[in-house]
Amino acid sequence: MSAHSHTEGQLPHEPEKATLEGRNKILGFWLFLGAETVLFGTLFSAFLALRDQVLDGPPAHELFDLKLVAIATALLLTSSLTSVFATQALHQHKRKALINWLIVTVILGLGFLGLEIYEFTHYVHEGHGFTTSAFSSSFYTLVGFHGAHVAFGIVWICLLIGQLMKKGLTVVTAPKAYVAGIYWHFIDVVWVFIFTVVYLMGKVG
Amino acid sequence: MASNHSTEEQRPVRHKVEGPKKHIIGFIFSVLLTLIAFAAVAGGEINTDFIYIILIGCAILQVFVQMAFWMHMKDRGHTWAIIGILFGVFVVFTCVIMAEYWAWW
Repeated sequence: MSAHSHTEGQLPHEPEKATLEGRNKILGFWLFLGAETVLFGTLFSAFLALRDQVLDGPPAHELFDLKLVAIATALLLTSSLTSVFATQALHQHKRKALINWLIVTVILGLGFLGLEIYEFTHYVHEGHGFTTSAFSSSFYTLVGFHGAHVAFGIVWICLLIGQLMKKGLTVVTAPKAYVAGIYWHFIDVVWVFIFTVVYLMGKVG
Repeated sequence: MASNHSTEEQRPVRHKVEGPKKHIIGFIFSVLLTLIAFAAVAGGEINTDFIYIILIGCAILQVFVQMAFWMHMKDRGHTWAIIGILFGVFVVFTCVIMAEYWAWW
C-alpha cells in the first residue's frame, strides 16, 4: 500500500462502487432513467402530434422568445458541467470541493427554474393558458414535467449536501452523490430535446 | 462458496484520477452544438426541412457527447445501464412514430 495514494486514508478508489449496495443502487438508477426516458418520450410524442393545434391561442413562433431559452439553456448546460466537477471531486475524495460544486449546481438550477416560472407567467399573460388549446396543454405538460424534475433535483441535492456535511464522504454517501450527478445530466439531456423540439422547431414553424 | 471478487483485482493500486480535460471538451462540444442549433433558427432564410435536419442532428449528437463524456457510459461495467436506456429509447421511438402516424396520416 502506498501511503500517499489517497488523501483521506480509508476511502477506496471510486467509493460509489465499493459496496454491493452502491453498485446495485447505480444499476437500479440506470433502469429508473430508462423508465424516465419512456415517460418523457410519451410526453414528447403527444406534443409532436398536437403542436399545430393552436385554436385561438398564439402559435409557437409568435410566443417563444429565443433569447430567454438561450439563457436557460446556458444555465442548465453549465450546471451539468459543475455537477460533473462534483463527481470528479467525489472520485478525488475531496468532500469540500464536492459540496461546493453541488452548491453551484443548485444555484444554477434555481436560476433555470426562476426563468421558467417567469416564462410561464409571461405566456399566461399573452393568452396561452393551460386549457387554451391542445398545443398549450401538451406544451405545459411536457416543459412543466421537466421543470418539476429540476425542482425535485434541487431539493434532493440540497438534502444530499446536508447529509454530506453531517456524515462526511463514506461508502454510504458516495453512491448517493454519484447517482444525483447522473440524474442531473439526465435532466440536461432531456432539456436538449426540449429546446430543440419545442422551442427551435416551434420557432421555425 | 467462494465469493466472486471480479471487480476488485489485486493489481498494485495506481489509480489515475480523471482530469477535468475530458469534461471541458464535452462541455465545449455541447456548447458548439447548441450554438449551431440556435444560429440555424435565428439566422432564418434557410429551407425549413433543412433546418429540421440540422436541429435533430445536433440534438442527437449532443446526447451522445453528454452520455459518453459526462454520464460515464464509456466506462467499463455499464452494459446494463446501456441496455436499460436503449430499451427506453426504443419505446420512445415507438411512441413518437405511433403518435405522429395516428395524428397525421
